[in-house]
Amino acid sequence: MKLTRREFSAGLAAGLAAPALIGSARAQGATIKIGMCAPVTGPAAESGGYAVKGAKLALEAVNKAGGILGKQGELIVEDDQTTNPGIVLAFSKLAAQSDIVGFLGSIRSTQVHAMAPDVLKLGKPVMIGGTDPNLTHMGNKWLFRFRPNDSYSGRVIAEYGVSTLGKKKWAVLHSTDAFGTAGGKALTEALTKAGAPPVLDQGYANQSQDFTPVVLAIKQSGADILGSYFTFENDLGIFARQLRQLGVNIPWVGSPSIVNITALKLAGPALYNTFGVADYAEDSSEASKAFGKLYRDAVKVAPDNQSSWTFDAITVLAAGINKAGSTEPEKIREAILSIKKFPGAEGEYNFDQNGDGLHGYNIVKNEKGSILFDKHIEFND
Amino acid sequence: MDLILQLLFTGIGIGAVYALVALGFVLIFRATNVVNFAQGEFSMVAAYLMVVCVELGLPYWLSFVIALAGMALLGVIFNLGVYYPLRHRTYLPVIIATIGASILLANSVLAIYGPQPQVLQGWFDTPGIQLGPVYLDSQYLLIIAVTIGLVIFNYWFFEKTLLGKKLQATSQDKEMASLLGISVSTMIMITFIYSAVLGGLAGILVAPVLFVSIQMGSTIALKAFAATIIGGFGDVTGAIIGGLALGVIETFGAAYISVPYKDGFAFLVLIAFLIFRPQGIFGERVAEKA
Repeated sequence: MKLTRREFSAGLAAGLAAPALIGSARAQGATIKIGMCAPVTGPAAESGGYAVKGAKLALEAVNKAGGILGKQGELIVEDDQTTNPGIVLAFSKLAAQSDIVGFLGSIRSTQVHAMAPDVLKLGKPVMIGGTDPNLTHMGNKWLFRFRPNDSYSGRVIAEYGVSTLGKKKWAVLHSTDAFGTAGGKALTEALTKAGAPPVLDQGYANQSQDFTPVVLAIKQSGADILGSYFTFENDLGIFARQLRQLGVNIPWVGSPSIVNITALKLAGPALYNTFGVADYAEDSSEASKAFGKLYRDAVKVAPDNQSSWTFDAITVLAAGINKAGSTEPEKIREAILSIKKFPGAEGEYNFDQNGDGLHGYNIVKNEKGSILFDKHIEFND
Repeated sequence: MDLILQLLFTGIGIGAVYALVALGFVLIFRATNVVNFAQGEFSMVAAYLMVVCVELGLPYWLSFVIALAGMALLGVIFNLGVYYPLRHRTYLPVIIATIGASILLANSVLAIYGPQPQVLQGWFDTPGIQLGPVYLDSQYLLIIAVTIGLVIFNYWFFEKTLLGKKLQATSQDKEMASLLGISVSTMIMITFIYSAVLGGLAGILVAPVLFVSIQMGSTIALKAFAATIIGGFGDVTGAIIGGLALGVIETFGAAYISVPYKDGFAFLVLIAFLIFRPQGIFGERVAEKA
């Protein structure tokens, strides 16, 4: 077969143009792609599985309701291995795909901190679940948070203990790590503002084997209520049992770890009648109940915040893109920030200019091992 | 006074746990001249074995026997796999091998059982008794009783039995023991088995108080290691006294000085011993080898 000069030129032109044409066709593809970094392997693999399920359930609902900009949404998951280097790698793999319009980051603040510089460089919206207040206050306009940040939990614990339980003599106990110190400080500040400065502010080091000196200090302080920020369930379990064994039975309002399933299993009856702040509480709203039912039917286990925040993140991101009428990052950002009174599984979303969607917490009670919703406390500032 | 008594009881209780693990350190050190950094992981593995057996529905006592038998087997494997191939080398490769083995054990349990801490019930239905103003945790009482029992047993075993004397002879001078017809490798094997069982016993006893987690071994072992330095590396009585002293020091330090620096007191004492009395309370001048 003889190839003429014209045929050769035409072939060469087609060959050169093909990748661009295919790329363009893919960019205007049949689906709208959303990337998700999730712990598929590593210590949080179990909860990572729940997070992916929550996101998939949300996308199914979005697609059933007409999709995103009239197209079906598609989720692309990359394993973050539950590590900081892992999430940086996972995000870079996703970011390299130019047709992905938005992303889901991590529930772990440290991992979000690790990926944040790359998020800023890429300039596309990323939904996160980490609760370190700094994440949305460090000038990164592409991070949007789907859980209340930790500055709210201290205020909620103080508000509930002082106003609802009517207690004024507080003992504040917190881990000396970054989370516990920030939480303890927020709680102490809120209590001081409420006219009930703590009579004891006690830090402890993680991985403690014995809390007897702490319990005795609480006992001697004459406190009539305890507020706590525990990082690890193991510590919380040992402390709870020693607290009750040494005869301290004052009311106790704790940070979210106090209602964590592992903590309930370890401490058992020692945590009965305690209160905790929880971002997801199934009975807190109609939207939470609806998510709970959807999740139970699909996954056959009780829902928790691992899946509720990803469910909300996908739902809000899809709503934002639809509202923007475009996949242009800046327009999606503006659309998300303008979302008000959006009913989600975690609560009602009212985004502020920092990208924080939720501004309150639920208080739940441990009723003989069952976690029951008590009330929701919301702040307007 | 009530406060002091309560702190004293808890300090002795937690100190007895350190002492049990420290005993394992000492026995291996005496027999092989190296520190076994997997001693803490022996405690963790035994606690997980107990949890598995109890979850399978086996009676508590049978689970206990199986867990300790498993530890004896682990002692054999550890001796053959970690110590034996390196026995003619200097102590450093062996120490590094024990660190490697400890990482392997922790990660194997993590891969098999997952990261979630587990609950193991104690021997007694009653969590503890109130004796006047002092609350006595039943599990701590058991730990203290077992520690006292082991001190007596060790004295009898090492001083009064032929096997104990052979073990002592091996630890003092391997070449001479060999010339006297003692099988040195058998004695070292027995030492590994015994210290693995001791570590396991500590893990099983402490599990109802501290829960069963991947980290439990390393947390206790670090303190037990400090206890052996304080007591005198290579000295059984020193390990017990060092462990008890450490438990009491950190408990009182936390109560009267600072809770967050609780672990710091233990290591301050350790540093003080390393500087001013490296041979420990009872030991010979060998701490620098550790």
